[in-house]
Amino acid sequence: MNVLITGASGGLGRAFAICCAQRGCNLLLTDIEENGLYAIQNGLKRQFDGNILIKRCDMTIDKDVRELMDYANQQNFKLDMLLNVAGIDYEGGFMQRDFLQISEILSVNVEATLRITHHALKLRRPEGRFYVVFVSSLASLYPIPLKATYAASKRFLLDFSLALGQELKSKNVFVLSLCPGGLCTTQDSLRGIEAQGFWGSMTTNRIEKVVHQTINRSLRGKRIYIPGMFNRALGLISRFVPAFIIAKLLYERWSKAQKQWLVLND
Amino acid sequence: MNTIVVTGATSGIGFAVSREMLNKGYRLIGTGRSIQSCDKAAKLLAEEFPEADLIFFPANLMHLTQVTYLAEEINAYLAQNCEGRLFALINNAGCVCSHYTTSEDGYEQQFSLNYLSAFLLTYHLFPSLIKGNGRILITSSNSHKMMKMHWKDIMYQRRYNPLMVYKQSKLCNLLFAHALNRRLSGCPVRAYGIDPGLVNTDIGLKNNSRLTRLVWSVRRKKGVSPEVPAKIYARVCGQKHAPDGFYYAVHGETAFSRQVNDENAERLFALSERLCGISYDRMFEGAGL
Repeated sequence: MNVLITGASGGLGRAFAICCAQRGCNLLLTDIEENGLYAIQNGLKRQFDGNILIKRCDMTIDKDVRELMDYANQQNFKLDMLLNVAGIDYEGGFMQRDFLQISEILSVNVEATLRITHHALKLRRPEGRFYVVFVSSLASLYPIPLKATYAASKRFLLDFSLALGQELKSKNVFVLSLCPGGLCTTQDSLRGIEAQGFWGSMTTNRIEKVVHQTINRSLRGKRIYIPGMFNRALGLISRFVPAFIIAKLLYERWSKAQKQWLVLND
Repeated sequence: MNTIVVTGATSGIGFAVSREMLNKGYRLIGTGRSIQSCDKAAKLLAEEFPEADLIFFPANLMHLTQVTYLAEEINAYLAQNCEGRLFALINNAGCVCSHYTTSEDGYEQQFSLNYLSAFLLTYHLFPSLIKGNGRILITSSNSHKMMKMHWKDIMYQRRYNPLMVYKQSKLCNLLFAHALNRRLSGCPVRAYGIDPGLVNTDIGLKNNSRLTRLVWSVRRKKGVSPEVPAKIYARVCGQKHAPDGFYYAVHGETAFSRQVNDENAERLFALSERLCGISYDRMFEGAGL
């Protein structure tokens, strides 16, 4: 099985890469950070037998994505699975952030993700199944004040993936959205989770479990995966409680968390 | 003046060892994770020992590329200032992680920092250690007892358990020292494991979950101050001839687990060579051993 992973030198991308390599997949890893790609390529090659290719790519630039696809073509790397891991967020409210940062969130999380998905779908094997995973977020289930752009960008991915899955069902394409709570991938993310206190620790998922389950569920043709009982319960609540009430509650929570986050980062 | 390298020298046991060794008149090369922590430690030590010769190199040893880069810096410094001689390498840097996280190389962080970084750093500094008739000291722990190597899933990618991973990394340290000594018969360089005992440091508090911090903040109260185990390192380094023992604690030589045997040691050694992309035997041949 040939898998393309975006954001592969970040914490979650690496965990997915390890999980796939363990299953004997061949990998094409991409990220904007080239040194990280070399490191993870070495690490994987020393542990596993599969073919591990890397190619730096800034997904927000069309030319870079085309070059990535050309490279895959040259290597005769026909795709069976695409893991859209790459994504960014900047802490802080809408008006506290520069607009360039706001637009960067949209550009990476939404536009670039769709760009690479569009290209990758053209590069899939003509016969056989094709699996796409979008890394959305638990945040996609609610309107979240102070994290508005990020949450909405992830909501976009969730809705988009459900629609795309239906659209391409007859073409043997299976689309899954992963909606995890907090994942401890870096020290920064750990601090972010700490800042949320009780809610942070309740919604945090084990990364090693999440990646395995995500691949399993994607292969089974599932459409949404919300890891953890507690998170699933929260997901259920979002269906019955009006959005404006949720926004009000979440505002209280996030303003506290952000104050705490500033303290922890000092 | 003999030169020593101490990794993780900016806090806890490493910092206490650095103080003790400067006090005994060694030249110190310390390492720490960030520039800030290195500057702070260097300043504190320079204030206490104004005559001392010391330098700090920042490096996050969790990532293997940084280990290699650090080794190049140290070797260059040794060549320039110490005729390329290193008297002791104290592999002390270590951490506790409450969640499964990986290094840039995709290796589990505790395994990578507590064990693999020592394996690779020792490899790169070995030529300098030979010139200095050096000793290799590795901070292990009695927590390696009652633990077996988890060969099936050595980096605990399936079900992560922070305590087991920590214990295993400390067992790895002893297996490494054991495998090294097997290869070094007839060579003046020797490797030792050190059991510092339960020590009151910040190891469980740095970037960890609430539960880990809570457990460690209660547990560490029973620990001794880092100055106590620092004496073990000074004693092993201070003897004129390399001592014959293998595993030292505060009261002297101490017993280690039966898991520290040839079979486990060789298996781990081969795996570690693969994970680091190096060959000790080739390096030994090059060094004429």
